[in-house]
Amino acid sequence: MTQAAPLLQVEGLRKFFTVKRGFPNPRTVTVRALDGVDFGVREGEAFGLVGESGCGKSTAGRALLRLIEPDEGRVRFRDTDVLALDRQALRALRRKIQIVFQDPYASLNPKRLVGKALAEPMRVHGLAEGRALAERVRALLDEVGLPPEAAERYPHEFSGGQRQRIGIARALSVEPELVVADEPVSALDVSIQAQVLLLLRGLQDKRGLSYLFVSHDLGVVRWFCQGVAVMYLGRIVERGPLPQMFDEPLHPYTQTLRAASPVPDPRARVTMVRIEGEVPSASAPPPGCHFHPRCPHATERCRVEYPAWKEMGQGRGVACHLYDR
Amino acid sequence: MSAVTGDMAAAPPRANRALRQLLAAFNTNKTSWVGLATFAVVVAIAILAPVLATHDPIEQNILEKLKGPSAEFILGTDGFGRDIWSRLVYGARLSLWIGGVSILIAMVVGSLIGMVAGYFGGRLDIAIMQVMDVLLSFPSLILGLMVVAMMGPSVGNLIFAIALTAIPPFARIARAPTVSVKERDYIEACRALGYSHPRIMAVHILPNIFPEILVMGSLWLATAIRVEASLSFIGLGVRPPTPTWGGMIREGFENILDTWWLSMAPSVAILVVVFALNMIGDGLRDFVDPKLKGERGG
Amino acid sequence: MAEAPALSVQGLTTEFRIGGQWHAAIRGIDFDLGKNETLALVGESGCGKSITALSIMGLIPKAAGRIAAGKILFEGQDLAQLDEEHLREIRGDRIAMIFQEPMTSLNPVLTIGFQVAEALRYHRGMSQAEARTHALELLEQVKIPSARQRLDDYPHQFSGGMRQRVMIAMALACKPQILLADEPTTALDVTIQAQVLLLLAELKQLYGMSMIFISHNLGVVATIADRVAVMYAGEIVETAAVGDLFDRPTHPYTEALLSSIPRVDRTSDTLMAIPGQVPAINRMPGGCRYAPRCALRQPVCERPPALAPVSGSAPTHLARCWVRAGGDR
Repeated sequence: MTQAAPLLQVEGLRKFFTVKRGFPNPRTVTVRALDGVDFGVREGEAFGLVGESGCGKSTAGRALLRLIEPDEGRVRFRDTDVLALDRQALRALRRKIQIVFQDPYASLNPKRLVGKALAEPMRVHGLAEGRALAERVRALLDEVGLPPEAAERYPHEFSGGQRQRIGIARALSVEPELVVADEPVSALDVSIQAQVLLLLRGLQDKRGLSYLFVSHDLGVVRWFCQGVAVMYLGRIVERGPLPQMFDEPLHPYTQTLRAASPVPDPRARVTMVRIEGEVPSASAPPPGCHFHPRCPHATERCRVEYPAWKEMGQGRGVACHLYDR
Repeated sequence: MSAVTGDMAAAPPRANRALRQLLAAFNTNKTSWVGLATFAVVVAIAILAPVLATHDPIEQNILEKLKGPSAEFILGTDGFGRDIWSRLVYGARLSLWIGGVSILIAMVVGSLIGMVAGYFGGRLDIAIMQVMDVLLSFPSLILGLMVVAMMGPSVGNLIFAIALTAIPPFARIARAPTVSVKERDYIEACRALGYSHPRIMAVHILPNIFPEILVMGSLWLATAIRVEASLSFIGLGVRPPTPTWGGMIREGFENILDTWWLSMAPSVAILVVVFALNMIGDGLRDFVDPKLKGERGG
Repeated sequence: MAEAPALSVQGLTTEFRIGGQWHAAIRGIDFDLGKNETLALVGESGCGKSITALSIMGLIPKAAGRIAAGKILFEGQDLAQLDEEHLREIRGDRIAMIFQEPMTSLNPVLTIGFQVAEALRYHRGMSQAEARTHALELLEQVKIPSARQRLDDYPHQFSGGMRQRVMIAMALACKPQILLADEPTTALDVTIQAQVLLLLAELKQLYGMSMIFISHNLGVVATIADRVAVMYAGEIVETAAVGDLFDRPTHPYTEALLSSIPRVDRTSDTLMAIPGQVPAINRMPGGCRYAPRCALRQPVCERPPALAPVSGSAPTHLARCWVRAGGDR
């Protein structure tokens, strides 16, 4: 695989949401969904973004596509500054970056035939017409393992796994180079999950696709991705290549996540550690290192000072005071 | 070429499915068939008015004035000796025309306003819906009255007045589902696929809200016919001698104690049409109701 | 001879009506739940694991479903034969249940304290003050921080993990002999899941309960179960002590399920996907129900196999497969 300049480079991405809460005296609360996030996806690579709910991983995927407009930061896709594009150029760029959603029930328009849903993007972008268009729809269905008759059916006539295949086919219809996969297998049963993962892996090899793979499942990320970043409360706490990062996690939070992830082996029970506390709200992150209230190694410094990013070599980096020299 | 055939191959199952659902809804709500049949008869009468009318609806015949129902004058004659039946069938034309056109305008404009407000949200949404709420706070008759009083009574102004009163409810009914549909992943997928906003609204949101708009349309058509009649009744409708149902009630009202049938015929006509439209609306509402949708495939 | 089981399910068959015909959603389910034992029912959606739990609780909707055959023996009574009134006395008192979605299982307009106390007042006839005191103890037992202050909070003021703890407190209120846990950690984040699993294991010891733990996640099952029953298409296809099952998965479905899980603890190049889908309830194959998806299919699989001992494993290790078990009969 080429180790050239990254296909996608995200720097200092920030997105705060303001919401009004409370009655009868509403307070304005700022939710720090993304608080300065840096990562890159290399050509042909599957890069994972993991964390628990509310950590901002899904927001990151949407912000780089500008489905949610980020407040600050830089997103470079090849030589394009994504955040500087006007509407027309953005529309063109979206051919290159596509998204696959978690919920295969919600991500397809229930009133549209599958064939139409697949043909529409190609028609809108002027990629194909007439006979060629119908041919490409059939080829797309075949590529994701569905029969040609699927084009004549409605989404509700398919199972969850098949719908996810349709969602993937739709994303592929505009021939993207990067696919943001937002928890694409979390809603599926394990055996179906494996089918879809194998399909995505096959597409990576065959089409040279790159993925930004957003997931909460460390097992899936370890199997599917070559690199990973762990997020906690809107920030990346550790980043590095796989499987090294899950075999020897550096950040205490990565260690916690790793230990809490169940393994289908009764002998692994002993590694189930006692985990303190819950994820705090992103509207009121703890001062200092966000993880310190749950961290077994927390010191006085962790309570006041957010740890700076430290490169640890071999492509790894971590934000934790434990690794200060 | 094959894209076209692809679309055509796609069309029948879709139409069949919607039709099947509509039939199922109408069958669970048998009165909708009655409503539909009644309304069809009224429309037929309006279309066939020149054939069905036994006399000229405008020509006065003072010698035959205020006659009761007879073989020659089925429903009797009015104070100018005009045949009530003939005026009634011609009046149906005008009443349905004014009601239909004004509601069609309200449907198109109102849905568009509601969709735009709901889709873009933010300040635009607030501004648009404030205006709609102001309009909505006037009873439709009062608003219609003001408009016609200002602009003068004519068919065009009447249509404009009625359409104006009906736009806000359509905007409301279009906005609510738009707000919920635009949050769905598939709309986000559309944006990710680079579709333009008008396209997303027309192709992906409109079909989701269209059934609700249709139900509203059938119910508001009844209201429009009533408003038209009311305005004509108080003399702000179409000018005499053109026959409209509201106008006929007013004319009959002057002699209500002696010749009650003059007002009776148009009143019953309005009643029948309003009832019929409401029955259709009930059937359509069951069709739209998600409980009856969601046929399981396989 | 071991002591009598806390619950014995024999030949349980529950049917649902689809298009005027009755179809078995679960068929011939047999298991004994020992005292202090955690039995995991594991399988993918549609395998019948939740139907099994609802049948035991007598919560199968009467209009569409019925228990067509089998016995559910609990304290000398057959729950399948009991009427609603007697079932209600047992439900929530001696057999309690927790659900997957703690968000919708709590009433949003009643305080946590009231909801926990309610079971005690209903089943135990406690006074309000008494029940409240006891509710506080329960909330402390499930480790809700500053429980006393939180007694008068409403469900929406709790996080998902805390709500599941409240659900557990409610289930434990009457010191049940059996706890039915239906995917209790599926909606939770992994760190919270780990906490809740640990809590459940501790409370099971403390209360001397038996537990039926329903899950689709073999990792979670390996963490908490003593014994496992793997379900497929309404039948138990393999059952064994947890160690035996994960060491020697024998039924081809169990094996395939295990190799379709991407593991966090080791690098594996192969990930096996099971082709096809679970058959619909009204289109069950006549013979072995897994046969259409099975790589080891033989002509004999046209006939329905029975649960048979797995040779070379513990006597409690049974599998429903002509090819891998019971080939000799």
